[in-house]
Parts: sequence; structure tokens; C-alpha cells
Amino acid sequence: MKLKPAAAMLALTIAAAAPARAQVNVCIWGTITGPDALVNGMSYGVRDYLEFLNGNGGVAGNKVTALLLDGRYKLDEELKIYRRCVDEEKAVVVNGWSTGSAKALREQVNSDGVPFMTQSFASEVLDPKKYPYIFMAGPTYEQQMEIALRDLAAKGGKKVVIMAPDNEYGRGPVSVVRQSGIIKKLGLELADTVEFRYDAQDLTAQMLRVKSRNPDMVYIQASGPQAIAILRDAAKVGLPAKLFVGNLYTISPTIPEQLGEAAEGFRAIQAYEPYGADIPAMKQIEQFAAKGKVEKKDIYYMKGWMEGIAIAAAIENAIKKNGGHPPDDIKQFRQDVRDAMEQLTALDDGGITPPLNFANHQGSTQARIAEVKEGKYVPTGDWISAGS
Amino acid sequence: MSARQLAITVGVAVLMGVLGLALGRYAAYLVNAVAIAALGALSLNLIIGYCGQISFAQGALLGVGAYTAGNLSNAGLDGAVAILGGGLLGAAVSALVGLPAMRLRGLYFAIATLAAQAILEYLFKILDPLTNGVSGLVITPPTILGFPMNSDQSLVVPSLVILVLAWLAVSRLMRTDLGRAFLVVRESEIVAKGMGIDVSHAKMQAFLIGGFIAGVAGALAGYANRLASPEAFTLDLSADYIAMIIIGGLGTWPGPLIGAAFVVLLPEAIQRVGEAAGISDILSALRELAFGLLIILFLIFEPRGLTALLSRLRPRGIGAAPHGSVGAPGESGQPQEGGSR
Repeated sequence: MKLKPAAAMLALTIAAAAPARAQVNVCIWGTITGPDALVNGMSYGVRDYLEFLNGNGGVAGNKVTALLLDGRYKLDEELKIYRRCVDEEKAVVVNGWSTGSAKALREQVNSDGVPFMTQSFASEVLDPKKYPYIFMAGPTYEQQMEIALRDLAAKGGKKVVIMAPDNEYGRGPVSVVRQSGIIKKLGLELADTVEFRYDAQDLTAQMLRVKSRNPDMVYIQASGPQAIAILRDAAKVGLPAKLFVGNLYTISPTIPEQLGEAAEGFRAIQAYEPYGADIPAMKQIEQFAAKGKVEKKDIYYMKGWMEGIAIAAAIENAIKKNGGHPPDDIKQFRQDVRDAMEQLTALDDGGITPPLNFANHQGSTQARIAEVKEGKYVPTGDWISAGS
Repeated sequence: MSARQLAITVGVAVLMGVLGLALGRYAAYLVNAVAIAALGALSLNLIIGYCGQISFAQGALLGVGAYTAGNLSNAGLDGAVAILGGGLLGAAVSALVGLPAMRLRGLYFAIATLAAQAILEYLFKILDPLTNGVSGLVITPPTILGFPMNSDQSLVVPSLVILVLAWLAVSRLMRTDLGRAFLVVRESEIVAKGMGIDVSHAKMQAFLIGGFIAGVAGALAGYANRLASPEAFTLDLSADYIAMIIIGGLGTWPGPLIGAAFVVLLPEAIQRVGEAAGISDILSALRELAFGLLIILFLIFEPRGLTALLSRLRPRGIGAAPHGSVGAPGESGQPQEGGSR
């Protein structure tokens, strides 16, 4: 009988002596309020996946604290938040947002040595050698544009007009594509590049200019809100939606909801399965939704969920490498997570994309074109590997 | 500036410095942000608060300073020289912005400064060789007088020293004939002319000096962000600065610092309160509403801003303004004799 109290004391001693679980922080910022808030489902998706894991034992037994902050699509706000994430929150992974901030921070990310998953797809921040800590989760803007151009060439089209906002998100990729010479190589002609203010609400003048060029395709290097303004004003001047192809940030249910008939035939690059697809990841999301709230039920949320899967897998592998607990030194932890992220190959993300491979820091370079038919985006072909 | 005000100025600067250096990079960034905003607000307070000339071009003037300092320090010049360069070009551009003031008044002049802001924003985007266009000019951390500025903490001391020097300079200026001329021009250009004041000269001097300080603030902003980007120097920034000086107290001595601290730190406070209460998403959406509402409330109920509110709490405290700035422009009242209290 004396064994019981002794056993109890031993258990308590072991418990007391066991190392306290280190805090594992992931810092996320997105445009919660601002001009591209329409696509902020991807920030919520990352947060929610980590919360989902917390409710199912955490990551390698550790709770992950996911802090979601509002960058407001303002550069100075995003730069400030980055410092909070790295210095104050001691985040082991930072999930950033804009192309502008990714470019502005790329050197600092290098010197801070913090894994940085950006929502931008700008090729100028994708360089595993030069920027070893920066990752993205899909084909670059330039690769997306190339997919659309190849599709146009395959269908016998000739003239293309590119529309883009006059900020880094718009001009950067357009400039890279123009300089690459791919348009000429495909036998196409760039009839015009039409720029507009990112937050412009009336693009009638721009659409009249597009119409005067008589293009076979108009490529939109912008996001959902801008696509809505473009398609709405295109309809005003008699340009059909089927002329337009948008990047993957223009694939949003809000477009057919708001525009109705004026959106029929609009096409966009699709790199992720839509919300509600019959895939294992959707089962997880439904489990999460039963206990929590899904803020945005759209394709960007799926993207975020996928990023969360990748981030969690990298953290888990880093913890396992350290004997099952997070390293005490945050710098070492970040380095381990970065290395683990780069080593993720054939990662199953529940069917959101084909298996992920982060050796090239992109996760996936496959996409397909989806077309608005009767108010829904319907894939018009198979997954295409960008750059092939 | 009285000895007491000097002591307060230096004391506040020292406190900010200690906080910035002791509490890590993020705190240092916030201290720099407040100091830079206070500098920018000080320059606008000179133009609007003391001289009564409404300007919407403050954001762009900071941009001029940032790009100038960035290009100079990237070329290898010491940061101190680059900051000075930013100030000088800021002054020159500000003088150009102020030229319409010779013939325009009130709303018409304000619209002219709005046009200047739009023109400068456009130039930031297209002058690729100088600005790198929409990508922005990446600024290599400089050295200032030989000290490397390669961290947020390292910028704290220069930011605060420059802020204190600018504060002292403006306080001194307002005790001179030119400073008093600003106040009279603000109250009535006709009376000023009657008193023999060269109104055009006074306005131009306000723009020159204000533009210099704005250029210096912009240079520091460029160093703090290590980037000068068109997106950072928009009309939104100009509106923020106007909000700072209204909330702080137009034409008051401590108003720019109080307003700058309030405008810079209020979003942080809202964010932290929201996180603590689990409603940060909602509060984030209400942030713009909160700012707009605050400005309206101040204009209606206390146009003299937080400075006046604080002075009511402490009648002999920091709200006392020695430069004849009895309130917002247009309010009646006798200018007080400059001098110590």
C-alpha cells in the first residue's frame, strides 16, 4: 500500500521535471480591411488550419499560437507588423501578404533568418539561393500569365492586351513577362498595356481604350475587386467577359454573384480546388466548421488551408529533428523550420493541389483555366505545369 | 522656449530613447515612427498652425526627402549629409508648392497643394532612374557620422536628437520677427500688410522651413523602412499629418508631438485591445471610422486639440503655448507675448 503514494509522488516529480512546452508562434498578416480584402480567406485559412490542429493534439504535441494581424494593404503597416512578428512575437514562421512588402523585406528576412511564406507570387522574390527563407505556394504571376498566353496561342489567337494596376503588384510581373520575350516566342502581339489605379472604381475610359485595340484576349494582372470593376465597365462598352482572363486572384464567387450575366465566360487561372470540392481537406474543414467559424468559404481559404498544412508539416519535422521538442533558441528553430520546409516533397495537402514540393520554394507550379458558366467556375482543362 | 519647456522636451526625448533602446526592435521602430511623425507634424504645424496656409502635400514632401536621402546614401555619402540633402530638396520642392500661395488663398490654395501631391506621387512612379518606379528605392542602411544605422535601435538616437533640435529651432523661430509675422499672417493677411509685413515673403519662408523639416523627416522615414516607395507617400499620409496637428492642437507648442504619438500609437492600442478581447478583426475594420470620428469630435468640441485638454487638467502644465497660439486659426484672441513662463 505504501507503493501508491510513492508512485503518485514519482509521477508528480516526473511531471514537474518534464520541460515546459515551448511556445510555437506563427504570425500571419493579411488585408483584413483594405482594397484586396476580398481574397483574405487565405490568411484565415492558415490560422484556422493551425487552430484545427490545436484541437487535435497540436503540432508534434505542441500548441501553435497563430496571430492574425491586419496589414491593410499598406506598406508601412506591413513593415511594422513584420517587426512585431519577428521581434516581439518571436514567430517561427511569418506568413506575409503583399508583393510590395515581400520585396521590401527580402533582405531583412535573410538577415533575420525567419521562414517567410508570402501570398505574393512575384518571381522577383522567388530565388531559393538568393532568398533562402522566402517561400510561396503556387505558380508565379509570370507563370500564370504564360499559361494564359499559351492557351491563347493554342486557340489561334494573336493580339493580347494586359491590364494591370500601377503598383508593384501590377507592373512588376508585366514588366518581367514583357522582358522575357515569351509573347513574341508564342507568335503573339502585345497590343497594349493598360494601367489603372488599384482602387479605381470607374474604368470606362480604360475599357474604351482596350476596345479600340480589338484584342483576342485581355489578361488581368489584378485581384477580384479590380476584376469586378473591369468586367462591369467592359460590359458597358460592349466587351464580352469571355475575352478576359485573370490571374488566380480573380477567381472568386463574388464576381459572378455581383455581375451576373456580365461575368459569364470570364476565365481565370485556378491553382487550388474550390471550397466544397469532394476532397479529404474539405472533410477537415467541415470538422473545423462544426466547432469554429469559417470566415471565408472560397478558393483562397483553401489556399490558406494548404499553406497551413505546409507550415505545420515543416514545424513538425523541425521539432522531431530536435528530439520531439522545439529548440530553445528561436534562431535555430527558424533555421530548422526553413530547412524542413525546403525538404517537403510529395506532401499531401488533402487534394487541394497536386502533391506539394517545396524544393523550389513554390510548393506547386500547376494550374488550370476555369471559366464562369452559369455563375460557377468550371475547369476547362487539365492541370498544366507552368514553365513546361 | 522656457527652461521648463526645454526640460520637458529633453526629458520626453530621453524617455522615448530609453524605451526604444531597452524594449527591443519593435519598440524602437515605434519610437522612430513617433519621432518621425512628430517631425513631419512639426513642419506642417509651422505651415498650417502658425502661418495659416493649408497644405495637402505633406506626404509627398516626405517622399522627396526619403528619395533624396536614399539616393545620396546609396551613393556612399554619410547619412548626416544625406539627411541634410533630403531637407534641402524638401525645402526647394516645398517652395515650389508654396508659389501658388502668392496669388491664391484658402480653398484655392489648398487645392493647389492637392495637385502638387498628385504630381509628386506620379513623379515618384515614373522617374525610374531616381526612384526605381513602383518597386521603390531600396535604401542600404547608412552610417550617420560614422555610426552604422543597420537596426531600428541604432536609429533611435539620431531620430530623437534631430527631433529635439528641430523643436528648439522652431520654438526659437517663433520668438523672432518672422515667427510673429507668421502669426499675424495667419490671423489676417490684410492686417499683416497694414503692419508692413511682406505677406508673400512670410508665406514662402514658412514653406521653405516647413519643407526642410519635412524633407528631414522623410529621410529618416526612408532609413527606418529601408525603402522609399510611392505607396508610402500618398495623400493618405498627408491626411494623417493634418489629423495629427488637429488632434494635437493646431498652432500649439506640444501639439505636433502629442498628435503624432496619438495617431501613430492609437492603431496599436486598438489592435492590442482587440486581440485581448478576441475582436481584433472587428476593431480593425472600425479603425478608419475611429480616426474620422475623432477628428470631427475634436473640431466640434475642442478645436485646440489634446493640448488644450491637457492644459485644463494642469492649468500651468504643458498646454501653455508661449507663441501667441491661442487656438485654431481664425479664433479670436490676443496673441500672447512670446517668452518664458
